[in-house]
Amino acid sequence: MATVTIKNVWKYYGQTPAVKDLNITCPDGSFVSILGPSGCGKSSTMRMLAGLEHISAGDVMFDDVRINDLAPKDRDVAMVFENYALYPHKTVYENIANPLRLRNASDATIKQRVSGAAKVLEIEHLLERRPQELSGGQKQRVAIGRAIVREPKLFLFDEPIAHLDAKLRAHMRGEIKHLQKTLGTTMIYVTHDQLEALSMADYIAVMHEGELQQWGTPSEIFNHPVNAWVAGFVGEPAMNFVTAGLVGEGDQVILTHADFEIPLLPSQVGRLNGAAKTGFARMGVRPDALSISMTKPAEPSITGKIFVNELLGGDMLVEVQLKDCRMRIKTTPEFAGKPGETCHLTVNRDKWHIFDAGDGHAYF
Amino acid sequence: MASRDVVHYDTPLQRILRILAAVFVVFYLIWTLLPFVVMFVSSFKDLLAAFKLPAVGDWSGIGVFFDFTPTLTHYQTLFYENNFSRYILNSLIAAGGSALISVIFGSLAAYSLSRVDFRGKADLFFWIISTRMAPVVAVMVPLFAIFRSLDLVGTLPGLILAYTTFNLPFAIWILKGFFDNVPYGIEEAQMVDGATRLQAFWSILPLVAPGIGAFLVLCVLFAWNDFLFAAIIGSGGAKTLPVATRELVQPQNIQWGAIMAAGVVTTAPMMLLGLVIRKYLVTGLTMGAVKE
Repeated sequence: MATVTIKNVWKYYGQTPAVKDLNITCPDGSFVSILGPSGCGKSSTMRMLAGLEHISAGDVMFDDVRINDLAPKDRDVAMVFENYALYPHKTVYENIANPLRLRNASDATIKQRVSGAAKVLEIEHLLERRPQELSGGQKQRVAIGRAIVREPKLFLFDEPIAHLDAKLRAHMRGEIKHLQKTLGTTMIYVTHDQLEALSMADYIAVMHEGELQQWGTPSEIFNHPVNAWVAGFVGEPAMNFVTAGLVGEGDQVILTHADFEIPLLPSQVGRLNGAAKTGFARMGVRPDALSISMTKPAEPSITGKIFVNELLGGDMLVEVQLKDCRMRIKTTPEFAGKPGETCHLTVNRDKWHIFDAGDGHAYF
Repeated sequence: MASRDVVHYDTPLQRILRILAAVFVVFYLIWTLLPFVVMFVSSFKDLLAAFKLPAVGDWSGIGVFFDFTPTLTHYQTLFYENNFSRYILNSLIAAGGSALISVIFGSLAAYSLSRVDFRGKADLFFWIISTRMAPVVAVMVPLFAIFRSLDLVGTLPGLILAYTTFNLPFAIWILKGFFDNVPYGIEEAQMVDGATRLQAFWSILPLVAPGIGAFLVLCVLFAWNDFLFAAIIGSGGAKTLPVATRELVQPQNIQWGAIMAAGVVTTAPMMLLGLVIRKYLVTGLTMGAVKE
């Protein structure tokens, strides 16, 4: 159980920076997810925390102890690897017992702890098997068992469910979250799947190209993304982006586009700084913050032609063609519009975002 | 590394070639095995029977080869008069000793070359292999001079050292390939679990064991069959089987019977070894070849 503080950490591979000036504080006992696409530096960060990579610059602290120069075995962390890294020539029992054997625990302690871990993970019937005789999900649970048998200061999970099928992934998300809450140990969980991060974590650190984009709770990241990249990365189906003009008319600011003219809410006008009042901006709105109808509504709306309908079981995803881009709207399965027909979209202006057309930072 | 049954459809020409290939293999087998058969059979014949030959062209006389009463006198000559049990022991110690030393130091060196990145690594690795490229005969004289000044000529440790000079680079080269094939994840998991680097190395040895085993056999084979080093550096106190066999050819009398028996004594252990580990030899040799 430890607070993990990452202060101004850089990681260079030769001349290439993989992690740039990272600053994160993970509270004791929290579930923190490091989220980002491939190559964003999340695995490098995790390996630096584990001690498998040198830290090029900066400090990493567990509670108040600087651990930069400690070998992995002295850091008291437990790691679950993406491809499990089980010991092929040992039985499942010995795999899970390995960390305890390396610390010279007694046979009785080992038996008690291993059985306990196996019970929690429901793999008691597999203890005498070898890794080659296990399925992917079973191997993953053995890898988790090997991590939890020790009661370390910190858990590091490196995309542990990436190689499982969709149904098993959904099941394991709940299992892992429940496990972390039960054990109460600080966990840092690396993933590229935004759904995993949103559903499991207490805090998310979104990274892109080595830099921390945003730190916050899942709700903050989803509802108040700090830039267009985070907004587009988090949320499935992805957010719609439309480049539009901003025109000021007295107290009002209107978002103008070939297919629509929608004024900003009064509270939102104040959040644009002066420079953005006349010019261009990117509007971002999630598919579920739009409503679609075949008749023109009274309030300002977006006009477009239906491109395609996708039935998602309980929802229908409609893609609408505008002059220069397409937008996706989530609606009910009863929606009757057909491809080619003209339709009208209304925006829930409490839930839309305006991003700077240049660097993508969010005004609101 | 398993071979797959490649689908093929034979034209008549290919079928003929296939038959010819089988015939060739049969002749090749006879060509290679016949000397061993003759040697083995002759070692049990007394000298008079050994030199009995049928007339040229008389194929039906082939039974003459097998018409004899087996005798153990030649083996008795070897072991009681010529002290061959001592030479067998020397061969075993020299071959086994150099194989063991080569594998221990070779695996440690191969592991570092495989895992650690340091300046000049490529050059170091090439230099190590290049020592194996040199023809043995070329370095014999300087090697002898060095060994003599160190009082190592005619001693078993000296001979073991001489064999190790040539086995060690070979060990490093082959074992590096095997270590390259072991994924990093296992050692990393061990280190996070609480192992030191050495303990992590120890833990992946079972995975390269077939490779190490195959290599040990090759080392033993090279040292056991070697004549040059044994004759020059091992001469006197560290006589091994090939050298001792050579000494059976004396100016006044070539002891053919004893020579045949000595041949059997020298080749039989290696053949048995080969038969025993035959199944693992191919796996071990090809393990480092393809990166999966």
